[in-house]
Amino acid sequence: MSVWPAIWLTLQLAAVTTAILMVISMPLAWWLATTRAKTRPFFEAITTLPLVLPPTVLGFYLLVIMRPDAPLGAFFLNATGETLAFSFTGLVIASVIYSLPFAVQPMQTAFRSVPQTTLDAARMLGANPRDAFFSVSLPMASRGAVTAAVLSFAHTVGEFGVVLMVGGNIPGKTRVISIEIFSAVETLDYRTAHVLSAWLLVLSLVVLTLVYVFNRRGGSRFG
Amino acid sequence: MVETLEFQVKLSRGAAFTLDAAETVPLTGVTALVGPSGGGKTSLMRALAGLEKPANAQVRFRGRDWSGNGVHIAPEERRIGFVFQSPSLFPHLDVAGNLRYGARRREVENYDAIIEALDLGALLHRRVQGLSGGEARRVALGRAMASNPEILFLDEPLSGLDMARKMELLPYIGRAVAEARVPALYVTHSEAEVTSLADRVLGLSGGRLTGWQVPPPRLTARVTSVSSGVMRVLVDGADAPDGAEFTLPIIAKLGEQVGLGLPVDSLLVSSEPPGRSDAIACLPVEVLDGAGGLTLKVFGQKISLPRGGPHVVGARLWLSILKVLPRPEPSDSGDAH
Repeated sequence: MSVWPAIWLTLQLAAVTTAILMVISMPLAWWLATTRAKTRPFFEAITTLPLVLPPTVLGFYLLVIMRPDAPLGAFFLNATGETLAFSFTGLVIASVIYSLPFAVQPMQTAFRSVPQTTLDAARMLGANPRDAFFSVSLPMASRGAVTAAVLSFAHTVGEFGVVLMVGGNIPGKTRVISIEIFSAVETLDYRTAHVLSAWLLVLSLVVLTLVYVFNRRGGSRFG
Repeated sequence: MVETLEFQVKLSRGAAFTLDAAETVPLTGVTALVGPSGGGKTSLMRALAGLEKPANAQVRFRGRDWSGNGVHIAPEERRIGFVFQSPSLFPHLDVAGNLRYGARRREVENYDAIIEALDLGALLHRRVQGLSGGEARRVALGRAMASNPEILFLDEPLSGLDMARKMELLPYIGRAVAEARVPALYVTHSEAEVTSLADRVLGLSGGRLTGWQVPPPRLTARVTSVSSGVMRVLVDGADAPDGAEFTLPIIAKLGEQVGLGLPVDSLLVSSEPPGRSDAIACLPVEVLDGAGGLTLKVFGQKISLPRGGPHVVGARLWLSILKVLPRPEPSDSGDAH
């Protein structure tokens, strides 16, 4: 049995999820880092929720709202002729939500560490708030953004519970590496399980090492 | 055009601190805002810059409303060259990038004069993390000036440096202000900085303005020669170099005008020439007013000392100067007062 469809699907899912997460979480992280709104703790809790909820709980609720008779699921069915649950799109939505804290938190920390007077200096030098964000906040937080992207990617590659709940186990469509491993073990195909597990282990180790190397170099650069 | 900065600012930080200040500041030379830490100097400066948005603020610059009357001009539109207590340089840009940041946004093509005045040429391609404290201050100052401001706001730009470093940087600040040819508002609690730089002094304490203080005594002089690390200056108004020319560390070029800030505790008035002494200079002076304080005519220039007297009006005295805090003056007009 070929493992490549699962690997390819996993990388696709992780890439799409990471791209969407970066677009969503950058403004969200900036807002959380800078707002004085009283509602901030609530939104912080919401973004952190996927970190503490069992993936099955998250997956269950996602499955509920993706059902063809729920508004979101019905809308998707009408628009594409496909059910949202057990589709690649459904997997992407689930992954984005599941990995949200991994994208938001490093960027929030990075944005928060940009000193207010540095931003004030940019303003006094003629930059409007939007200009100051792109020319000062973002470059100074670039380390956090890279960490966010790498962690989102790695976390999506490694997810299991949510994918199983929302996507099931359809080869080439929703069967990602972690589920392939699960099925391999269930069918006593230990060789496939070994290969894929080793693959994931090495990939995760490499990714995390890169994050730490990059952070250390960044640390001396901005320290 | 009304050459003043008018303000009326009220703001509170909880129950513990309120700032309530109203004044009209002439837009010439350097106005020092002095007072103890926590007195509200920085808060006032930030409110004037628009970085704080108190509910109750009226700020009017050259007759144009910055804040109040339903207006709030954004900080980036006020054209203030703001130097903060910490240099607050952009760590992701090198020195040249920092200087260019404001210049580009204000369409300033050429700021070589500023680079030269602040000796920044050798630093241009350095990363800001590698700069010493004093170098970082100079870059921050240059960055503010390169943005072609209409007024400089300097909020304790030398804070956190040791005394030797401060003394080294003082002439640079004077040079920066002279080069920029714009008025400056200078927050400090350092006597030396006030003596060296200030044309007028406004006190602020406990969130209230305490009024205009007597500005430090100051003479103007012209550089007559420069050689091997020192310059000779001739006090303006003197006909002959005799007794009116003396040596100072170099802070200006040949022919340029310098202001001589005279720390009052380093001045000695005597009725006889002191002969050989440790003084930098000993100038013949005439008493213009001797009751209470002491107003002296020095080669046609007038200085007031808070002490002295009683001396007879018209009496000829000698003024020994033990210490001078010089500053460069704008080259086309010596009269910043």
